[in-house]
Amino acid sequence: MTFINSFQAEWLKRKRSLASWLVIGGAFFTPSIILASRFKNRAALPALYAKEDFWRRLWYQSWESMEVFLLPIGIILATGLIAQLEFKNNTWKQLHTTPQGFTTIYAAKLLVVLLMLAQVFALFNVGVYLSAVIPSALFGAVPYPAAPIPYADFWAGNVNFFVDCLPIVALQYLLSLHFRNFLVPVGVGFAIWFLGVGLLSWEYSYLFPYNHGAINFLTATGHFASRKVPMSVELLALLYAAAFTVAGWALYVTKRDKG
Amino acid sequence: MSGTINQRHACCVETVDLTHRFSEAETTLDLVNLRVVEGSIYGFLGPNGAGKTTTLKLILGLLRKQHGEIHVFGRPLEKNRVETLRRVGSMIESPSLYGHLTAAENLQILQKVYRCPKERIHEVLELVGLARAGGKKASQFSLGMKQRLGIALALLHSPSLLILDEPTNGLDPNGILEIREMLQRLNRDLGVTILISSHLLPEVEKLATHVGIINRGRLLFQGTLAELMSERRQHSFVVFETSDDAKTELLIRELGLSPRAESGRVAVPSLERERVAVVNQTLVRGGVDVYQIGRVESDLEKIFFDVIGE
Repeated sequence: MTFINSFQAEWLKRKRSLASWLVIGGAFFTPSIILASRFKNRAALPALYAKEDFWRRLWYQSWESMEVFLLPIGIILATGLIAQLEFKNNTWKQLHTTPQGFTTIYAAKLLVVLLMLAQVFALFNVGVYLSAVIPSALFGAVPYPAAPIPYADFWAGNVNFFVDCLPIVALQYLLSLHFRNFLVPVGVGFAIWFLGVGLLSWEYSYLFPYNHGAINFLTATGHFASRKVPMSVELLALLYAAAFTVAGWALYVTKRDKG
Repeated sequence: MSGTINQRHACCVETVDLTHRFSEAETTLDLVNLRVVEGSIYGFLGPNGAGKTTTLKLILGLLRKQHGEIHVFGRPLEKNRVETLRRVGSMIESPSLYGHLTAAENLQILQKVYRCPKERIHEVLELVGLARAGGKKASQFSLGMKQRLGIALALLHSPSLLILDEPTNGLDPNGILEIREMLQRLNRDLGVTILISSHLLPEVEKLATHVGIINRGRLLFQGTLAELMSERRQHSFVVFETSDDAKTELLIRELGLSPRAESGRVAVPSLERERVAVVNQTLVRGGVDVYQIGRVESDLEKIFFDVIGE
């Protein structure tokens, strides 16, 4: 048994699942809103598309709702739904009688969640690009954006935002595997996220594991210019993610009843 | 325990003093020594809540063992869990199916895990009579079809040991017959050892070569079906209908037997053929007219309830 086989089996399970539809819906939600708004205000588009910082504006406009609201909510729901595939179908007992180590199963499922998150990022970036180019393709008066796409900045931004999401993924994964009732991980996740949003203005809010994405975004857009964070938010996110992953693994492998 | 299985060396599954508690107040399994002989069909009988599923879950490593030993294929399960499970197919309680996936996709998941040839998917679907339903979502299956697909999942990797918990639940009589014949074929042609739990006694009687009877966490009988049948003979009665019940009872008692007069007849337990003739001659010589002699055998159900004490 190789890890790849376990992962392939886990990846198959998400096919046609609600979680896989959530990936597509979540990734294209904000770009669709932006596109709709551009269709509505098409008269202002030629001037906007001529600006030098066109891509940077679009980038932050797109990430605003994504980083603060949609991604945390989406991760909470999608992670819960992936674990629910086993609870709802009563398949833990089947899975745990296959010749796979418990660590392998834990890691394979976690990788599925992470790859789905990567899918969201990839599709979201495609969506952002499409929300820029579709108006210029449809309306003759709207030119293709004059400014070059800052690929390196966008890539770095994507990586940072992805890392910021990891503590949410890891803690939600821990909760989702541990509780049969879907409402428990989702309810706890939403409560932590709400609390985090409420604490954003607090000087130590960077210590809160669900806040790193929002802090990163608000810092990048100049909203937290006066805020001093004594360490890298991404490093802190990685440490939290590692701690939650190890704790989740320990809880999972030592569970008394595996069926 | 009435029966014995002496082929210890050829045990496919063996538990030693297996004990399990879900709470301090209640012992779910109490010193269970299960022995499933290689190549046998072991019918694991017991009423609901007797401890059948708990035993099977422990054998499959789904519950953490608290006390006792579990050996599968002659090796301790704890130290060889992954290697052991490679050769075991199982279906515990209801079938485990992903409702949003088709039957073939459900099988494909396990095909990836077991790394068996893709052709096996079609083979096992055909084996359980679902060849035409491979593209249908499992959530749209009837209970009987789900049960068949569950068995297909258990058979996909051609296991040496098949552990099935109440596999005929929800099947119609025809379906039960088909599954029974399929299991017998697997056992006979491929040598698959089958451990099957059930509360349906006639079903086990028709299928099993060995039987274990469990109640309230204690294994009350374990042996071959022949041993159980011998038990059945021991539970039979010879009934004498005569002109004088009281005298009949007295004469039979003088022969050292334990007769019981009931509703115009005298019943004598566990009487061999030769002894029947002796009793008859004694009664005739004693001036009692014998109208009828008959044998009443307990059915498996009665033995089962005798064994579990209910």
